[in-house]
Amino acid sequence: MTDDNLRRWLGGVADELIPAGDGMPAATEAGVAGGQLDLVLAVRPDLARALNRAWALAGEHEPAPALRLLADLDPRAHQALLEIVSGGYYTSSLVRRLLNYTGQQPVPVRPEDHPAYLAEGLLDRVVERGPVHRDPDSLSRRQ
Amino acid sequence: MEHADVLVVGAGASGGVVTGALADAGFDVVCLEQGHWPDRTDFPALRPTYELEARGGWGGNPTLRGKPEDYPVNETGSDIATLMYNGVGGSMVLYAADWPRLLPSDFRTRSLDGVGDDWPLSYRDLQPFYERTDRAFGVSGLAGDTALPPGAEFPLPPLPIGDGALRMARAHDRLKWHWWPAPNAVLSRPYQGRNACAHYGSCMQGCPEGAKASTDVTHWPNAIKAGARLITGARVSRILTDARGLAIGAEYVDTEGRWHVIKADVVVLAANSVGTARILLNSASPRFPDGLANSSGLVGKRLMVHPFANVTGYFDEPVDAGGHVGAKIVSYEYYETDPDRDFVRGAKWSLAPTGGPLNAALPSRAGNSVWGKDHHAHVRGHLGHSLSWCIFGEDLPDEANRVEIDDSLTDSSGIPAPKVTYRVGENSRRLLDFNIERAQQSFAEAGARRTAVESLMRFSGWHLLGTARMGDDPATSVVDGWGRAHDVPNLYIADGSVFVTSGAVNPTSTIVSLALRNTEHLIENRREQRIPG
Repeated sequence: MTDDNLRRWLGGVADELIPAGDGMPAATEAGVAGGQLDLVLAVRPDLARALNRAWALAGEHEPAPALRLLADLDPRAHQALLEIVSGGYYTSSLVRRLLNYTGQQPVPVRPEDHPAYLAEGLLDRVVERGPVHRDPDSLSRRQ
Repeated sequence: MEHADVLVVGAGASGGVVTGALADAGFDVVCLEQGHWPDRTDFPALRPTYELEARGGWGGNPTLRGKPEDYPVNETGSDIATLMYNGVGGSMVLYAADWPRLLPSDFRTRSLDGVGDDWPLSYRDLQPFYERTDRAFGVSGLAGDTALPPGAEFPLPPLPIGDGALRMARAHDRLKWHWWPAPNAVLSRPYQGRNACAHYGSCMQGCPEGAKASTDVTHWPNAIKAGARLITGARVSRILTDARGLAIGAEYVDTEGRWHVIKADVVVLAANSVGTARILLNSASPRFPDGLANSSGLVGKRLMVHPFANVTGYFDEPVDAGGHVGAKIVSYEYYETDPDRDFVRGAKWSLAPTGGPLNAALPSRAGNSVWGKDHHAHVRGHLGHSLSWCIFGEDLPDEANRVEIDDSLTDSSGIPAPKVTYRVGENSRRLLDFNIERAQQSFAEAGARRTAVESLMRFSGWHLLGTARMGDDPATSVVDGWGRAHDVPNLYIADGSVFVTSGAVNPTSTIVSLALRNTEHLIENRREQRIPG
């Protein structure tokens, strides 16, 4: 499955999709064809089958034509490839650090005593405009 | 052979409420649940692979998820794919916990607008039960919403809406459009032994904090203390009936493939609108050749799922949309019928966050992917810079939209699987298109640089409604106004199957309120209840 040749091909495709730039590393620099691929397939084994199929269909092509070919021949394999590449990239700790993205960190909720929308009177004006529902008993509604 | 006063099928939203009320009243209750207890430590929120897992094993579609407790659904003939979770807590484990109520007009669409049918009850009838279930589940919200008649305060203050929603609220203020802080079944403060929301932002893949209400944390522990018996890994194939046409129990298969029969005086189905219709249709017998409780021919028909559109607004400035995944604010500005429009009924809008970096790269809702040299700018322009109006359109009941039994598809136990046929109607399409334009106007007023539109989201079948509608006439409905099957007087349906019309709001609050109301009626009338034997 994670044959060296496949990884080399995947790396080329991945860098075509996510090249270095704007202060961000290329996909292979983030390990998308290395350890990140192992991580992705460990949590999403369903993607392995499509990756194999993508490689079989387009493994002999250069990255750009390979992606075009897959989009035409096997959209599901193409979509899986995008998910593998972006999934590996955005689970990389290096990439997350550069994006300043911390993931699902707990932040205790503190209900505000007097939220800004109350301070600004926004809800007062909603109430002043009157009901927006129809009451079947009176059929009343603001005009 | 095991016997119970009442057998409940399904341990989700309605099953938890029904079982709890019956157990508290002293009934001997057994619940069969095909799934298992969710393991909070296994929820993916805390893993860096969270977004990847949300698209795989923690997704909502049972066919794609394919866990042993799931059953496949043939949806090749459907515009929208059904979403559900099979386990204790049911689909609440994966819902966003938006907790709106139906509006008064939703119960009277035939009288008011000449479409659908009137319910055999009114908003006023259900209002006390809405207020009680708000307290039981722990709802955070702000009373006084002009979209509803006056009522009780919520038990908890509203969740913070964040700077992004405040920006949208100001825009609606300038437009003179309705908005209100959204009620959510998520704890803004510790409540009844449960922790407050920790803002993991992973509500739809299980809440690791237990702050989001689902019956596995809100109802089942107490129901079991009160004596209810919950059997997990128990997949019901059919309801059994006696010579008098009364339900006598159910046949089910356990995870080892062993088949069992459990008998009961009363049977309550709480398996969602796909699962309940499937069981009733699979329960066909010589006496009930078209399926159980189906003399009207309506079992499985009038499926409603809320056609769902999504408009994402992109801002140059950062917009804080973090925290819980459910609605920050809602708008009912275009909910009610307006005779000047070319459609009837309307939509509810919920403002929601747009997810993390994987969702920025590969949007699961409105938006596009950009690869190559512009990829990084595209992702940065989405991540922390976008908000989403989720537009739930009302679904008018249509008998062509239906759940049937597939000719060949089965689950892993060999039980025939459901086939769903669903098409978005013309009224719904016009309704969605109108609301999409207004949502774009809303974002423009708020200063969005651009918007992206998803005019119909395929994987949006969270709200499964209407396949066993309630009504007074046995010729045109499956159950009466208390959820009892017209054809089988000791068979009840407690889930969203009984909805007469869909409204345009997330239905869980109404499902559990109806379940509580109807169960208390069953309890009050226990002496008149016909039972087998």
